Amino acid sequence: MNAVELERPFSLERVALLMRCRFFEEAPAVGIGAAIILGLNLLGLVIAKSAIFNHMGTWHGGGAAVDGSPWGGVLFLGGVVLASAAFKAFHEARGTDYILLPATSEEKYASAFLEVVVAFPLAGAAVASLMSALLALIEGALGGTGGSVWLPWGLEILKDWGRYAAVATVFLAGSATFGKTAWLKTIGVALAYFAVMCTAAVVVIWAFSPEGWERGRTVSSLGWSFSLGGRALSERATRTVQAVADMLSFGVVPAFALFFGAAKVAEKEGRDAVQ
Amino acid sequence: MVSIDSLNFGYGKKKLFDGMSLRLEPGRVYGLLGLNGAGKTSLLKLMAGALVPGSGSIEAFGKVPAKREAARLADTVFVAEDPWVPPIGGGAYLSRYAVFRPAFDFERFEALRRAFALEEDKPLSRLSYGQRKKFALAAALASGARLLLLDEPTNGLDIPSKIQMRRALTEAMSEERIVVVSTHQVRDLENLIDPVLILDSGRLAFELGADDLASRLRSKRASRLDGLEVVHAEPDALGWSALVGAGNGEAGDSGDAAADLELVFNAALAEPQRLAAALRGEPLGPYEPRDLAALSKEVES
Repeated sequence: MNAVELERPFSLERVALLMRCRFFEEAPAVGIGAAIILGLNLLGLVIAKSAIFNHMGTWHGGGAAVDGSPWGGVLFLGGVVLASAAFKAFHEARGTDYILLPATSEEKYASAFLEVVVAFPLAGAAVASLMSALLALIEGALGGTGGSVWLPWGLEILKDWGRYAAVATVFLAGSATFGKTAWLKTIGVALAYFAVMCTAAVVVIWAFSPEGWERGRTVSSLGWSFSLGGRALSERATRTVQAVADMLSFGVVPAFALFFGAAKVAEKEGRDAVQ
Repeated sequence: MVSIDSLNFGYGKKKLFDGMSLRLEPGRVYGLLGLNGAGKTSLLKLMAGALVPGSGSIEAFGKVPAKREAARLADTVFVAEDPWVPPIGGGAYLSRYAVFRPAFDFERFEALRRAFALEEDKPLSRLSYGQRKKFALAAALASGARLLLLDEPTNGLDIPSKIQMRRALTEAMSEERIVVVSTHQVRDLENLIDPVLILDSGRLAFELGADDLASRLRSKRASRLDGLEVVHAEPDALGWSALVGAGNGEAGDSGDAAADLELVFNAALAEPQRLAAALRGEPLGPYEPRDLAALSKEVES
């Protein structure tokens, strides 16, 4: 980095350098995770001549397995774990060093966001696909079918990535806010938020379904079918509730988490625990 | 220049600085002294930008540290009392983190690494406390930053390393650089620091230049304090170690020496009015020794 770059209020070069630092710090843990997945599947091959992950999940579209695949699930979980630990350094002894590392708070947040939301799923999907193909080849050589090679492309995977990005952003904000067991505390806050939203949804459902106001009726389920008292909601009410839920899940919540997390990183101070 | 104006800062209800103001000029090594909990580390962190003032302002070379602009951060180094280091070798550390500082002088670092006898590839987290400290100091001195903030830099260093550290710091000084050293080990650095800043009760109690100390104060070892213009005195094996006004006999008298910084510091806490009077060259009244341990407890409570 040169002196001109240093004066920029936001530098992509610094973001890249920060991502490089993150990569070196997190690569061992991610590598261990990948080795465990590979080991489990190799164990399956040795014991049952079956690459377990290639035979699990719900499959869509002739071999291009996406939804419900353990490969996607593992990446989702791995990304959430990574997001939960993204700002761990802030809360540790090295917090002051991390705060004073010559890059702006926005750059530090951006590097974590890009790593967790973009780089990890892309690189992870590529590695998982290769691993899946390799395991299928080995299984084929052992006389098995090889199962379905995980090929994460198509519109469906983009939707999955959208859901992952929304959740990962929330866990990033959790990591910026909480020190120890950030993942657990984030889940706690998310559940509390979900409870509030469910209550709000009940109110919305009742508002759009006057029959819901009848004495004695209760909300028996609040799944994606949006039934009330055992009866399906009107089409209009269902569309409205779905739109509100989508707006909250993919718009309001991640946007709030993004700005909240960034603000938390910006305001973090190198205070000593002793004080 | 670093300027601090009407600084207020505290932790929760505990107020640490109450309207403190201070100016630090380039080309000098400032010694920051104070009792435990006086706020020395917090002041360094405030100047670095790791802490944000409650109110008041801090500017370092025309920028506000708390805004944490990359250029400001790259122009400042804060070396903590117990520096954090990752479990990687020194070379890997520099290739990851020194790239954020365009002015980092790798040759200078290498020279300092050799002078401090630091192993090249041993994981930093496996170094001893003193070695970690030397690594952090070498990186700080080679950083090219104009503002160096060192928290207890001589703690944990062996005697040759302290000498090396003093030499390295002297060599690293330039007309545009400001070094602030927070320390309890004043004797390790007393030939280096000028001026001395003494923090007490949330404010800057004294700013003493080497000239003030040399012209106004002297240390004296005496069996009796009679007839001396004593600012502050402490009993020792021979009688008394006393800080006296410069008018007490000729320099070079038996038991006479340049003002000892530890005595000056203790005098600033125990006898601030007498010290201020001595620095103004005013006559001092009769002296009655105070119990420093009791004073320390009083201040901490």
